[in-house]
Amino acid sequence: MATGARVTAVSGTDDPPGLARDDDLAERFVAGDEFALREAYDRFGRAVFHLATKTLANRDDAEDVTQTTFVAAWLGRGTFDPARGSLLGWLLGIARRKVVDRMRARARENRITETVRHQPEAGMSSPGADPDQVVDRLVIADELAQLPTDQRRMLELAFFDDLTHQQIAQATGVPLGTVKSHIRRGMQSLKRRWEVDGDASSRAAHISRVR
Amino acid sequence: MTHPHERLISLAFGEPDDDASAHVAQCASCRAELATLRQVVAVGAETQSLHDLPEPPPRVWDRIEASVREASVGEAPVGGASVGAEPAPVDLAEQRRRRRGPRRWPAWATAVTAAAAAAVVAVVATLSIVWSGVGRTPDEIVASAALAAYGETPRSAHGEAEVLADGRLRLEVRDLPAVSGYYQVWLIDPKTMEMFPLGVVDNGSDEQLPLPSEVDLTRYSVVDVSAELFDNNPAHSGDSLLRGELT
Repeated sequence: MATGARVTAVSGTDDPPGLARDDDLAERFVAGDEFALREAYDRFGRAVFHLATKTLANRDDAEDVTQTTFVAAWLGRGTFDPARGSLLGWLLGIARRKVVDRMRARARENRITETVRHQPEAGMSSPGADPDQVVDRLVIADELAQLPTDQRRMLELAFFDDLTHQQIAQATGVPLGTVKSHIRRGMQSLKRRWEVDGDASSRAAHISRVR
Repeated sequence: MTHPHERLISLAFGEPDDDASAHVAQCASCRAELATLRQVVAVGAETQSLHDLPEPPPRVWDRIEASVREASVGEAPVGGASVGAEPAPVDLAEQRRRRRGPRRWPAWATAVTAAAAAAVVAVVATLSIVWSGVGRTPDEIVASAALAAYGETPRSAHGEAEVLADGRLRLEVRDLPAVSGYYQVWLIDPKTMEMFPLGVVDNGSDEQLPLPSEVDLTRYSVVDVSAELFDNNPAHSGDSLLRGELT
């Protein structure tokens, strides 16, 4: 498996891993630096667009959701709280809500069309992928891309090639104990990120339980 | 055996480990942890398809840029790289001020006349960011929220709220549980839980409520519908039926 330079899945860059870049971008975005909006779009536009195209049948809807997500994020940037998750997670949370709104609107239109036509099944386009699952995949892919190279490489062999730890050790020539520790540390990062951003973005729809 | 946290990760990948398996069989917290790890493994395996995601068509960015420009007055061009304009000078003090200062969604107050718009431009220079309604039609939706059942409310209850460019909140609520009093709409700042009362709605109705002109929707971002009693107490009863966040 190629582990050299490549374009990472979600962030669209192949920069060294680490959260420093993210934090800096988020800070500039919140501060109202217009260049940060373009940068956020360059890095995360494809992830937001992927979420929209996977979940919405209509291509115009997907483009529209992508556009309005970034506009809403920019106008509402004062509400972004880095303590509650990453910028990508926040953007995906906004996009997810817009996707769900659009799905509901389409379902409503379809109901009206059906009532007019008296054809219960007509026009019922089947919904696309589950937005929560797509968000989870994007968040994990982003974290995977940011892991140190060794951790990422071992995890990719386990995830994509379905190799056992022993097989990974044989394939890479890395001692089994080292393979295990890379996998362990990588998984801990993925789990942490998933709990923050996967969870945060689905919870955002009904806001914190404070009173 | 103490909780074998590290070995749970190997288990999640299907590596054989009889001791750890035996522990998991008896330990609810390790079972839950293992279930989470297995989900992460499953999601991880699905990420292979996410390499080289396609770019959105260029028109998507063009529209973002146009929307943001339309919404801003007296601000520098967005994303200089694509417009070829000179980068706007960055005033760090101003940025810090903006970060702390109040931000607003597009000005609601009234239809903005040319004179008012000019006044807004003048004020922007000293008062950080003020978004303007220039170029918007009164019915344009500038923010919206899907309202979902909150707390003990039956899941079937739902609603939608839309903020229109001229400062109205359009609200639709459905299938609210019956209450002995009435339904009240609020805008809440989720950080401080300070709130503005907006008005009263009926179940199943489609209402339009005026927003207070001073409300900052980036702070007061949560639309809340509560059950209130006829008790002469104007404060929130604490019984929220629906909530949703404006985006």
